[in-house]
Amino acid sequence: MTSGNTRTAAAVHASAHKLFSLRRTAAIATNTFRDLVRQKVFYFMLVFGLIIIGVSLALASFSFQGQLQTVMDVCLGAMSVFTMLLAVLATAMMLPKDMEDRTLYTILAKPVSRFEYLVGKLAGVTMILVVATLLMTAAFFVVLHFWQGREIENLQLTEPAERAAAAISKIKAGTFTPTLLGGIGVILLRSIVCAALTLMLSCFATSWLFTVIVSLMVILAGHLVPIARSVWQGPLGAADAPFHIAILMRLITVFVPDMQLFNIVDDIAVGISVDAGVFLHIAGLGAGYVLVYLLVGWLFFAWREL
Amino acid sequence: MKGRILGILVLLVWGIAKSSFEARLEQRMENTRLGGFKLTASLRQQAGQAGFIAALGGLRATVADLLWISADSAWRKVQYGRMKLIFDTCTAMQPRRVLFWDISAWHMAWNGAAHIANHEPDPVARAAKMREFFLLGKDFLERGIESNPGSWELHDRLGMLYHDKLKDSENASKSYEEASKRPGALEYTRRFAAYYLAEVPGREREAYARLMALFHESEHEWLPTLFRHIQELEAKLDIPDAERIWHAVVKLANTPGNESSAYPGLVDLIKTGSREPAVVEAARALEQKMDIPAARRVKLPPHK
Amino acid sequence: MSTPAITIENLTKEFTNPSVFSRGKVTAVENLSLTVEPGQVYGLLGPNGSGKSTTMKIVLGLVVPTSGRTCIFGRDSRDVESREAVGFLPENPYFYKFLTGSETLSFYGRLCGLGGKMLRDRSRELLALVGLETAADRRVGGYSKGMLQRIGLAQALVQDPRLLVLDEPTAGVDPAGSHEIRDLILRLKQRGITVLLCSHLLSQVQEICDRIGIMNHGQLVREGALDDLISIENQTEFVLENASPALLAELRERASAAGARVVCEQKPQQNLERYFLEVTAEQGGEKK
Ligand SMILES: Nc1ncnc2c1ncn2[C@@H]1O[C@H](COP(=O)(O)OP(=O)(O)OP(=O)(O)O)[C@@H](O)[C@H]1O
Ligand SMILES: [Mg+2]
Repeated sequence: MTSGNTRTAAAVHASAHKLFSLRRTAAIATNTFRDLVRQKVFYFMLVFGLIIIGVSLALASFSFQGQLQTVMDVCLGAMSVFTMLLAVLATAMMLPKDMEDRTLYTILAKPVSRFEYLVGKLAGVTMILVVATLLMTAAFFVVLHFWQGREIENLQLTEPAERAAAAISKIKAGTFTPTLLGGIGVILLRSIVCAALTLMLSCFATSWLFTVIVSLMVILAGHLVPIARSVWQGPLGAADAPFHIAILMRLITVFVPDMQLFNIVDDIAVGISVDAGVFLHIAGLGAGYVLVYLLVGWLFFAWREL
Repeated sequence: MKGRILGILVLLVWGIAKSSFEARLEQRMENTRLGGFKLTASLRQQAGQAGFIAALGGLRATVADLLWISADSAWRKVQYGRMKLIFDTCTAMQPRRVLFWDISAWHMAWNGAAHIANHEPDPVARAAKMREFFLLGKDFLERGIESNPGSWELHDRLGMLYHDKLKDSENASKSYEEASKRPGALEYTRRFAAYYLAEVPGREREAYARLMALFHESEHEWLPTLFRHIQELEAKLDIPDAERIWHAVVKLANTPGNESSAYPGLVDLIKTGSREPAVVEAARALEQKMDIPAARRVKLPPHK
Repeated sequence: MSTPAITIENLTKEFTNPSVFSRGKVTAVENLSLTVEPGQVYGLLGPNGSGKSTTMKIVLGLVVPTSGRTCIFGRDSRDVESREAVGFLPENPYFYKFLTGSETLSFYGRLCGLGGKMLRDRSRELLALVGLETAADRRVGGYSKGMLQRIGLAQALVQDPRLLVLDEPTAGVDPAGSHEIRDLILRLKQRGITVLLCSHLLSQVQEICDRIGIMNHGQLVREGALDDLISIENQTEFVLENASPALLAELRERASAAGARVVCEQKPQQNLERYFLEVTAEQGGEKK
């Protein structure tokens, strides 16, 4: 049956065991990716496509100014909600499913550390999120391109020449901007942070429903962090907030990620431009969250009974 | 157990570090006018509304848009109260969207006021109510400017509101002046700033200087309104005959090769009240030279 | 070889049962010590709930012991490296539904650091070994229980480990398959691979194990070489074919004359397993 060759080969690999192996992690990541793809998560994307096309058609029947901006808002809004939901739902299922099916036993009985397993899982979800974001961006750009043409046509028909020319050049310069691409990047980053958060929670949760609910609650609370912050540090100061409220708000700012910082898409359609420094800060913050959540998830998971 | 305690400790340390980083990043983003939704004093009082808006996350802009579209049906049903409510919410959600402020103000000061004008029989009440609507529009524009200090459109719209609705030429001029300073502003804002200054009692001299600067800038600026305002001010301020603008225009008309640009100037001078024989003479001379048919020659206004 | 394949020292495992009203404790394994020498086939026996699976999971580092320690080839089970040369087949294994049989094997192969042509050859070889060639490109989600068991075994063998830990390897497998697995284990044993297995099929355990341990309520109640434990030194069994009644009578007489006692005399029945195998072989039953 087994030839002596593979035996020695396996032995060579065994002697070269590394504390963290990219190869093992990549095996888990690609497997997770393939598993999710075959579970047809991309049908989700079809729904996204239908939504933006539906909204486009619906808007065409209204006539009001700023349709282009509205299309942009709706598409970016749908993108951020979809990526976030995809991240939370896909991640929340992974660990409980592996534990329930005992696939985790066979994986961890191989020379795979629990940290590699977690990193691989997160990397697999990240791959799904990247592909999903690319697909949505492609669909979004097609729709946006169509509406840009339409808006320009409208302006040529309705506005006096001087105003039209100014408005058209503004539209041309203000639609496909680096800020828009950066904003889409931030959407992706936020979804990865959400995935890391969910993975961390699922490392000690006992049911995926708990994980989903708590993750969504934390994400929701994350959007209220600026309000919490303004209570204990804003111009009104902590003076007019009761002590226990101030403490609660302080706890929220410490333990809940400020999701509003990742929420620049809401302002992209109005044509602001964001400098690279801000993007860099956001990217650093996101990377920090992912690393910390991975580390904490591992701490929760390392001692866990399987 | 050990893992959980360690994990929570890590989260705590990270949380303390990140919360101050986040506070600074928020400050920085506000400085670059990012994060359009801000806790203004009025929003903070309505904690519920502020929380709701914040909780929308990536859907804030979308919800604002949908709400905005719904204002259209309120307009068709002539529900100005509801429209104002919707506009207040939309602008709170998306204060960086200039269009929201602009259209909100327009609905109030133009459409709302026009509705009163057509439906309020009592003239005293009519004037008072219309003024109320004008002020609502002005309020939207002023708040919009606060959130979008770089927008020339809002200043432009405010200038129009001051001039056409509130009959306040001084503030109109000031607003156009502000508009003209902002990037992307169209040419006319600069003209309007000067034209409307000419209508403010007591600032004639200043206005005259501004208008003359425009006059000398280029023939491109030689527009009927400019000529009218300058000629009125020349009369009002008793400008010495030799300095009046008709000299400059006639001089241009007499320089060969400039006929086509000088003639419209002469026509405008005549149309805006010039009675100088030299102007009329020069105009006639050019008409002959340029073979302008009798029917299209400039007609002299009747003498008073 | 001097280092034992598996060392278990004073192992105790208590599970806290998360019940709503009380936090009751279940002692799954209690003060267990045993050693498996390299090259041995060791059978862990015991009634349901006696702690066999728990012991195996602790050996593989999947469950943290309450006290005591376990080693594989001298390396502590808590170290990931200890699992370099181990293959594990859990009870009722289950794999990623959406992967095919061969994808499953290449996934586990890559976890062991294998790759490329070597891995492809290896997984083809293993699929043939466990009799799943025809199902190699079908998704595991559609596999029967026995097929899952087979792919599980193949997965455990993927990196050609020195130690195999098999938790009820033949549960749900048809008799022919069960027979093949038995033969496979014997062949592995010949190649010097150590096997720790637990099974409720005592006849099979008897056929393949060198040494057994019997657990009850988490404790090891008997342990030793199989021959020592069950052979009855003063008895001998014969099975005769075509023996005439006269010959039988003579044998009985000679026995009593020599001072021996005939303990039992009966017509052996054909073993049901053997009968089943004959029938299915006649049908040319090709296993799936
Ligand atoms: N994760 C767990 N949480 C709580 N109790 C557990 C857990 N795993 C096992 N047990 C308990 O530990 C005891 C031993 O279980 P184990 O699975 O080791 O038995 P076994 O000998 O493998 O039984 P079987 O022959 O049925 O497979 C049982 O009483 C079981 O209920
Ligand atoms: Mg068991």
